[in-house]
Amino acid sequence: MAKHKLAVALLATSFLTGAASAATLDVAMDTSPAGLDPHLVTAFNSVLIVQSNIYQGLTDTTAGLQVVPNLADSWEISADGLTYTFKLHAGVTFHDGSTFDAEDVAASIRRVQSTEIASPLASRISPITGIEVLDPLTVRFTLNAPFAPLLSSLAGIAIVPAEAETNKEALQQVPVGTGPFKFAEWQPNGFISLVKFDGYREAGKPHVDEVKFHFVPEAATRQVGLASGEYDMLPSIDPATALQLQGQPGITVHQTRDLGYTLVGMNVTRGPLGDARVREAVNMLLDRQEIIDGALFGSGVPGGPLSPALVDWALPTSEYACYTQNVDGAKALLAAAGVTGPVKIVMKVLPRQDTRDIAQVVQQQLAAGGFEVELVNQEIGQFVTNVFKYDDAGLNALLDTGRNVTDPAARKAAYDAAQRQLACTGPIAHIAYGALSTATGPNVSGFEINPLGRLTSLVDVTLAK
Amino acid sequence: MNTRFLIGRLIDLSFVLLGVSILVFLMIRLIPGDAVAIMLGANTEITPDRIAELRDRLGLDDPLVVQYGHWLWRALHGDLGTSIWTGRPVLNEISVAIWPTVELAALSVLVGAGLSIPIGAFMAQARGGAAEVAVRVGAIAGLTIPSFWLGIVSIFLVAKLLPGVSALGYVPFTENPLGNLQRMVLPVIALSLPMLANLSRLVRSAMLDALGQDYVRTARAKGASRRRVVYRHALRNALIPFVTSVGVSVGYLLGGAIVVEQVFAIPGLGRLVLGAISERNYPLVQATILVITATFVLVNFAVDLLYAAIDPRVTN
Repeated sequence: MAKHKLAVALLATSFLTGAASAATLDVAMDTSPAGLDPHLVTAFNSVLIVQSNIYQGLTDTTAGLQVVPNLADSWEISADGLTYTFKLHAGVTFHDGSTFDAEDVAASIRRVQSTEIASPLASRISPITGIEVLDPLTVRFTLNAPFAPLLSSLAGIAIVPAEAETNKEALQQVPVGTGPFKFAEWQPNGFISLVKFDGYREAGKPHVDEVKFHFVPEAATRQVGLASGEYDMLPSIDPATALQLQGQPGITVHQTRDLGYTLVGMNVTRGPLGDARVREAVNMLLDRQEIIDGALFGSGVPGGPLSPALVDWALPTSEYACYTQNVDGAKALLAAAGVTGPVKIVMKVLPRQDTRDIAQVVQQQLAAGGFEVELVNQEIGQFVTNVFKYDDAGLNALLDTGRNVTDPAARKAAYDAAQRQLACTGPIAHIAYGALSTATGPNVSGFEINPLGRLTSLVDVTLAK
Repeated sequence: MNTRFLIGRLIDLSFVLLGVSILVFLMIRLIPGDAVAIMLGANTEITPDRIAELRDRLGLDDPLVVQYGHWLWRALHGDLGTSIWTGRPVLNEISVAIWPTVELAALSVLVGAGLSIPIGAFMAQARGGAAEVAVRVGAIAGLTIPSFWLGIVSIFLVAKLLPGVSALGYVPFTENPLGNLQRMVLPVIALSLPMLANLSRLVRSAMLDALGQDYVRTARAKGASRRRVVYRHALRNALIPFVTSVGVSVGYLLGGAIVVEQVFAIPGLGRLVLGAISERNYPLVQATILVITATFVLVNFAVDLLYAAIDPRVTN
């Protein structure tokens, strides 16, 4: 009997290369932002999109963390440190076509400070008590106390059009700024597209026509997408991904020291952790280099309370005696604190690969001193409710001095003392400062990584495709 | 089809939806962590006043029963609430996200169910032959390979073999039909393969069963061609379990779509509901799951109607 063969229809697939349109920089990131209002967003990805690209501040911070002019051309600070007078850049327009002037600056500051808007940035400029518009291009802030970090804080305060002052909704969906890129389209969970702002104040910039932020939750997909040229840039990738991408042809991994940190926080109201000697013992049990090698693939440096990226401020870790692993010393401290027998501790861990790896190494190291550490995964939503409950009058005084004194040497002395106190007996055993990595594809040139994690240099990026 | 049957099924549907809404309502509130803590974030100035104000605005301080009652009352009036994060009505958010999922699922059913009939029929006829064994091994592989793995590997292969081809993300069909279909190819393969494998095996065994029946022998004896016997007589009888299975598969397909959307960066319902769960966006989770449940129930309702069309003996 003749066998009948059935033709199996295969799905006809037509793969066509997407029509090459204007130069689009495709950026892939993990999650979609909830909103784009620069005074309300806190999520890292939202800040990444809006800061420097859509919005600008009066000042800016460079990759070397120096404060430079941005929307303000220059400024004068009174001798007592209480008044700041800013001269604004002339001829700047917002994306909606309106002209930028001192009223917009005043409205933006008031907006951040308003309780109605409830901006999380409010504390950064809380000492500003008076805002005076002297002429359309001059604005003066009066402070109730000297506030040394003001100029660098202002880099993070986006200037929005004065009309938006009391509007809590509009900018979340359609941002309007003075930056090199203007908002074009938002496909929820898909992408956010920014296009070149033709009216940008620096002629000839930006060089690319469009920046498209794609939201790609799967890490492997982002990685393959970069390798295949589907995406041009992966901002803020984790150490394992950076290591894998480093060797691949055409891919550049840009790295800088991260200002963010990994730490073991201790609730000082819980059992033996309330004793400063026990906290010091915890520090002495840790071998930070081992953690970096084992869990961060060697990309990181041990650090204290301040990031080593803050070269002018952070003390070297050699200044902290407790940073040298010393199991016997730790045991002696525990004995002095009256702690005997195994100490049971619950450690809450964010369920991210790198933090979980760190936690396991820490668990081992603390075991040498008699700590029985139980690791419990906790999602971010609940993790943020964990607290240290540390309150120390001496430390508060030092921090107040640091904020209020404008003499650099005196500030440095105050922060040095605060670091020494916090490093060994504070509520946090600081572990390491990792590297901040951004990977770019073969077509991208002119990108410079910023240690704050912001994409400040997209304005200078050129694409060869 | 009589109206009593229809009304009965609609009443069933409303009970299912009510039950699911209660379950989802309780479950999402049992997950540790709450929307307020996530919304305020770690670096916000959290004052007890702000927390209280926000909780009050979101109605999170009322007893669960009262919260559910409020939700149900509004839902019955067509208002499924507004997204906690964006402030937009959840139905708006769903109406945007539903299309990529509908397209993905529909194409996958088309491919999975459509191809399973000829493949299954082939396997039944060629039983024992080398070709059949090869296809059967393929079917078992299709059943066991997880979609996410297949997805990632296929993205990788396309990236290597066809550089410059856009296989990720989503563009609406109305905007760019070719680009839309091009991006659908890999996700549809990843999503439909398990269904295709499962249904092919089912068609095969149902066909074998049917081909062994007396009426097949009778049909052959009266001179009907083999082709006619296979497709007119045997297949028709094999279709009842097939259609049931397609209905059930749609449920798995919707579950699988969540994973596939994640891998291929498709902004569909799966992404929406996953994001909503991690943000504790209660109204959005609630509404999205209800929509998914309703779809599943309605598909199986349609399957019941199909029985009657296939087999005249099944009427009521």
